[in-house]
Amino acid sequence: MSEPVLVVQYLKKKYGDFEAVRGISFRVSQGEIFGLLGPNGAGKTQSISMMTGLFPPTSGQVHICGLDLSQDTNAAKRKVGLVPQELALYPTLSARENLMFFGRIYGLRGKELRQRVSAMLEVVQLTDRADDAVEKYSGGMKRRVNIAAGLLHEPEILFLDEPTVGVDPQSRNAIFESVEALNRTGTSIVYTTHYMEEAERLCHRVAIIDEGKIIALDTPSGLIQSLGGGVIQVGLDDGAVQGPLGEFGTERQAGVPGKRVLQVVEQVSDLASVKAASLSDGLLKIEAHRAQEALIGVLEITNQLDVRITMLQILEPNLEGVFLHLTGKKLRE
Amino acid sequence: MNALSIALKDIRILLRERGLLVQLFLLPLVFIIGFSMVFSIGGGDEAITLPVVNLDAEGEIAQALIDDLNATGGIQVALYAQDEAEALLEQGEIKRLLSIPAGFSADVGAGRRTVLELVSDPEASEQQTAAVREVVDGVTRDLSLETQLREAFRRMDEMTAMAPPEYQAFTETTIEEQARRQFERSRHTPLVSIAQSFPTNLLGGQDELGVQVSVTGLLVLFVFLTAQTTAQSIYDEKKVGSFRRLMAAPLSKAELLAGKMIPNLITTMAQIVVIFAAGVLLMPLLGMEPLTLGDDLLGLAVVSLLVALCSTSMGVLIAALARTENQISGISQVALWVMGAMGGAFMPRFLMGDFLSTVSKVIPHAWATEAYYGLLLRGKGMAGITAELAALAAFSVVFLVIGAWRFDFDS
Repeated sequence: MSEPVLVVQYLKKKYGDFEAVRGISFRVSQGEIFGLLGPNGAGKTQSISMMTGLFPPTSGQVHICGLDLSQDTNAAKRKVGLVPQELALYPTLSARENLMFFGRIYGLRGKELRQRVSAMLEVVQLTDRADDAVEKYSGGMKRRVNIAAGLLHEPEILFLDEPTVGVDPQSRNAIFESVEALNRTGTSIVYTTHYMEEAERLCHRVAIIDEGKIIALDTPSGLIQSLGGGVIQVGLDDGAVQGPLGEFGTERQAGVPGKRVLQVVEQVSDLASVKAASLSDGLLKIEAHRAQEALIGVLEITNQLDVRITMLQILEPNLEGVFLHLTGKKLRE
Repeated sequence: MNALSIALKDIRILLRERGLLVQLFLLPLVFIIGFSMVFSIGGGDEAITLPVVNLDAEGEIAQALIDDLNATGGIQVALYAQDEAEALLEQGEIKRLLSIPAGFSADVGAGRRTVLELVSDPEASEQQTAAVREVVDGVTRDLSLETQLREAFRRMDEMTAMAPPEYQAFTETTIEEQARRQFERSRHTPLVSIAQSFPTNLLGGQDELGVQVSVTGLLVLFVFLTAQTTAQSIYDEKKVGSFRRLMAAPLSKAELLAGKMIPNLITTMAQIVVIFAAGVLLMPLLGMEPLTLGDDLLGLAVVSLLVALCSTSMGVLIAALARTENQISGISQVALWVMGAMGGAFMPRFLMGDFLSTVSKVIPHAWATEAYYGLLLRGKGMAGITAELAALAAFSVVFLVIGAWRFDFDS
């Protein structure tokens, strides 16, 4: 992993007042599998579309293998393979006919084209069904042809946009194995997904994207370590927020915590098992060194101060937890 | 090269869509055969009674005109006094009236131009009126020719008789040459012309209206209906996601659009060839007049290419404007069929009346039909239909420019 094959700088896409992608930047090194992890609508497909030259960004730059995509468009595009989220195939044509067509579009001809098509059919294990119409294939088989079509011209970098959506577990595993095998040949891969287990398994680095912004970027283990021993979220209610008047007889302002809740936060922060604690909208967020020990401490303190727990959530130390910790949302919301 | 690859792929897909092939090639033939039969039956073999007022009762040429009209077999002349005829026409008892003016024979005999008046009730059968006009036109043209030739030979006789034998310059060759010139003059500047208020657009002299008219109108209808196939093909490409893959490939937007247009261009040209071939070969087998393709086959090819291009450009325009499959279908079902009807698919354009005929000039179908009428019915060459060719080219450019401008490559 050395030379960057993809450099993305301050990439933005606006539609009127709506900013779909809000200035993302990152680099992908040669031989790297780079994950874009985020919920549906986070801006992953929009970002990939701009990186593959489907449409221009509102601002920002994309360089592929040192080529400016906006200047050397066709040369840069030849370095790129795209496997769109949709099954971008012609259903009435056979797998072989589909691949022959996409190969021609990338300039392959004659014997070279036929050899590449046959090789790719072998890779995706569809040689025996190569001349059947794609519409007769199972969902997993179609996905495999879809991937083969993006690989025909041996791209330097392959963009896989949610390649496992709607795929059965068996085919999903086959796709994982194909991606790993491909990466072993040195092909760099940008892999978008909203399944955290895919990102954890496949990606060397992961950018977590939400509402068009990259909110975290690290190796999967680095991201998970940021949670420490886990994150506990506790909803607190000291009764002061229930009525129109606060405990000192003055009118409370919405969102201002009661005195006992503030005491809970202070005491929890002092616990040895707690790394950091913060309060927001009545929700105490605790980053723990040791989650179990910290939870016991929290329960003791809230009981002592007579503060009611309205909600309790323990975030596992995984990417789903990281996302929830960073955004307050689940990946699949 | 990429455009050709896309085109070949689309043709391969098209050839596997049997339903679409039926719609593109078989359906037009079914319509054409059906409508040709209707038009042919409508014409009938029964003679049409033509009321005539002869104000040149003593004139030999006027009488010859009446005899010739009766001799055609298609018309039976009924003579009326002028007052009686006008009264009957006013009461609606007779639907059309041909008036031979006083001095008609003298004028024609002296080589002066004269006018026959053909009055027709707007409620009269337009098809019969057109047929009457055809017959009268043909007979008067022959009459003019005959009269002019007779005059020419009379003069030559006089000159030959008066000159001494050594000065008799009129050999058989010069007489033939004189006759030929007179014949051409008669054809281009007939002595007898016909004034008629309705209908205004008339054919130039062929009888096989049914096949010629129905093939022309329906051909234009179905060729433009193929615009839907172009639009649908582009929409399908976007729907299955292959459009995104193509946009990510090293090919330009122009190549992509050209690749989507070429198959439609080829399909519509094939449609035109099949329809013309059916008109020429199939119609006689079904007992109808064969389609005649006119004298200018190059012109026919140019018109057909422009019509195909116009249809294809319209397909790109529809794909650019329609956002959903239903919109493509809606535009095609309504707009293309209505435009086809206005273009003469179901009724010959020359029977539409001035209003519809004028209004329909805003759609390419009308120009396409007129271009074909010019070549197939009126015996014109390409030089005679330059306005129609220019209009079709202009429509093609406008559709393509707007279509490419509004085309959403990003979605």
